[in-house]
Amino acid sequence: MSHDNSQVYRTSSSRVGKMMIIMLGICIVGGVIFFSMWDYWISTPAPVVAMMAGGDDHTAPAAHTGDTITQVLHFIESPDFRTLAFNALPGDPDNNPTVNMNVGDKVIFNVDNAGKSFHSFGVTSEDEGFGGVIPGTEVAFASNPLKPGEGGSSEFIAGEEGIYYYICTVPGHRDQGMVGQIIVGDVAAPEPVVEAAPIMEMPAPGVIDVEETIVEPTTEPIVEAAPEPVEFNGVISLPQGSGTPGCDETNSCYIPFNVSVSAGEEITWSNDDSAAHTVTSGTPADGSDGNFDSGLFMAGGTFSVTLDESGEYPYYCMVHPWMTGNITVN
Amino acid sequence: MVLELQKPRPIWQIMFSTHHTDVGLLYLITSLAFLFLGGSLALAIRAELFLPGSQIIADSMTFNRIFTVHGTTLIFLFILPFASSVGNYFVPIMVRYKDMAYPKLNAIAFWMIPPAGALIWLGFADFTWYATPPYSIISAPGPAADMWIFGLKILGISSVLGAINFIVTILKCKHPDMSIGQVPLLAWSFLSSSLIILVAIPTFAAALLMLLTDRLGVSGFFNPAMGGDPIAYAHLFWFTFHPEVYVLVIPAIGMMYEIIPRFSRKPIYSHNSGIFAFVLLSIVGFSSWAHHMYATGMSFTEKTVFMVGTLAAVPASAMHVFNFIATMWNGRIKFSTPMMWAVGGIALFFSAGAGGVANAAMPLDFTTHDTYWVVGHFHLFVMGTIAFGSIGFLYYMFPYVTGRMYNETLGKVHFVMSFVGTVIVFFTQHVLGLYGMPRRIFDYPPIPEWIAMNQIATVGAMIIGVSMVIFLANMIYSSGKGKLANTEDPFGVGGKYYYPFEAKNPSH
Repeated sequence: MSHDNSQVYRTSSSRVGKMMIIMLGICIVGGVIFFSMWDYWISTPAPVVAMMAGGDDHTAPAAHTGDTITQVLHFIESPDFRTLAFNALPGDPDNNPTVNMNVGDKVIFNVDNAGKSFHSFGVTSEDEGFGGVIPGTEVAFASNPLKPGEGGSSEFIAGEEGIYYYICTVPGHRDQGMVGQIIVGDVAAPEPVVEAAPIMEMPAPGVIDVEETIVEPTTEPIVEAAPEPVEFNGVISLPQGSGTPGCDETNSCYIPFNVSVSAGEEITWSNDDSAAHTVTSGTPADGSDGNFDSGLFMAGGTFSVTLDESGEYPYYCMVHPWMTGNITVN
Repeated sequence: MVLELQKPRPIWQIMFSTHHTDVGLLYLITSLAFLFLGGSLALAIRAELFLPGSQIIADSMTFNRIFTVHGTTLIFLFILPFASSVGNYFVPIMVRYKDMAYPKLNAIAFWMIPPAGALIWLGFADFTWYATPPYSIISAPGPAADMWIFGLKILGISSVLGAINFIVTILKCKHPDMSIGQVPLLAWSFLSSSLIILVAIPTFAAALLMLLTDRLGVSGFFNPAMGGDPIAYAHLFWFTFHPEVYVLVIPAIGMMYEIIPRFSRKPIYSHNSGIFAFVLLSIVGFSSWAHHMYATGMSFTEKTVFMVGTLAAVPASAMHVFNFIATMWNGRIKFSTPMMWAVGGIALFFSAGAGGVANAAMPLDFTTHDTYWVVGHFHLFVMGTIAFGSIGFLYYMFPYVTGRMYNETLGKVHFVMSFVGTVIVFFTQHVLGLYGMPRRIFDYPPIPEWIAMNQIATVGAMIIGVSMVIFLANMIYSSGKGKLANTEDPFGVGGKYYYPFEAKNPSH
């Protein structure tokens, strides 16, 4: 630099050496901390998980006064990963074995992950979702689950009569069939738990045989279940809360969800929810068939389409695949 | 000029100094340390993908953690600090001021980087450098995820402080005899990238806070189960990080503007078009963010707007390339190591830009979206253009920093191996993407074409890895024992530093 006339000093080997020692020292200290705590850093789920899963209003663990039952459970998956279960796939008598016990009995669950995906185990009294897991019954957590081949055991002591469920606590896996019942005491058996399965179900060609028992109430049967068009005045509403799974059970994701119109009549969807949605022709299982697609439209937005050819037009929301509806053009 | 040592002093005095060359040296060493740390993670990723199945990395979660930290490290802890290092060394000298405008702020901005780096590296989060919600909210395990969020928060503050410093130094502290149009292009590149940072970063800072409160459960901005919308995060994120790629690339182009006229022994072809292209790039950078999200169900109109906005960056980039080539044209070029890196960088900049046009075209994007094409495209920019410009400039400033010369032969070997390796890895990844291989995967089905191309890419990555070891050895050995540099003219190109406003280069 022309205006810099100061004397030239040069780096020496010892200065470089000192700098390298400082750098290496930092790396070594950091590396020791890092590797010695490798698993600790991913050991805690986000606080929101506990909040979404429900309160911690469960009573303290009950005393063990009765028998001890040992139950072995394997996490297994169908080859296409669409159906998950314990011990055997649906249709097999070993599928999701029901545990019968009395108050005060203790069940020891020996679980192992015989599948290829990640799983974790817990017992809950809630009849849907992955929350409310009773402390002490967990084997691993959804945030740090059992890897393939890993296993573990846990205990469950029934404190009061009722129906409990042992589930895979990884979100979504219960809905895909990883749930079994624990019947404590003399309680009337409730309807089969596999009813919960079709919510997330997206049957692929070729697996229908395996899943026959649980696939039935998917899109088409739902359409038959309530065939009469409900007070359709040209506008289909996407009501508040349709962004949350569950509206499909009452067919209230699109209101009315099954509409008959004559060819050329304009149909309008109105997004009355707080989340953005799409109205996409097709089914969640097969994807868009290209007849119409709203793209993402925001809360308060509307989307209209005019269908000229008669036929059945199932449609769904690409963001929330449990939201399905149907249009019949006469 | 020896920048590090105004007078010999103990190392701790350099560490606690606020002088711009000392802070620049700290930035330099930190960024190089993270270059090698992040680069070794890249080699681990490539080694794992050499064959289908799981070989050296135990499970997919570890793999996710590795590529998350790889991306975060090289973008935020190598490229940005390296650019800050060059800016710290050269911007005050170029605007003829004694130091940065706010020396203490400058040192604070640097000292935010080591703790942020420690948070990112100790936690090793697993949700990609995009922090994909809703995964990052409801599934990503803590405390790693929270540490990553806080680390990025600190780095964002550091970037903003650095940007304020550069802007004030250039606009307010430049020599009164020098008009803003006479400020050298390297300093101009820092002015335009700093302006982008000031406008872009606050959006991501807000998004990070929203991510954190979502994780804590007090809000549900991006949590679909609480009525939130993950697409909103994509908009906030890319509104910051599409302009951010220009923050990364503009200083690298500025460094090439310093190297190319110097080794062509010719003044820059058009100083004003360089300034114009920098300003244009920093404006159009804000009109293109949603091109990352064509596949999220946007309307045709939105997609078209963002496609046009993205393509608007092409003329500005082409002006730079034209300027480089016109400068070299008819020059007496000396292909020393820095010049080789700069010219190689131009070639790869052009290739990456051509791929970028294909990406930006919305119909083609649906073919390449979330495939290895995107990985190849992005890395060709980051490695081929930005790292090439930066490493070339590191060779260029080496004699000024240490007073000694690096080994020229090893420098050229480093360049040739890196260039060949970069082409092998990232061109192959483009093709791999067209063959349908999705990005961010730990294992892949044994499709013969996929295996072959993954192996080619891994071999290329190993070539880069070996060249980087040569580079490290060269830097360490030469800074202590290299031959003494002639600091008036270390590269033997004749004349002194060429500055447009000085025009003192006797060679022409």
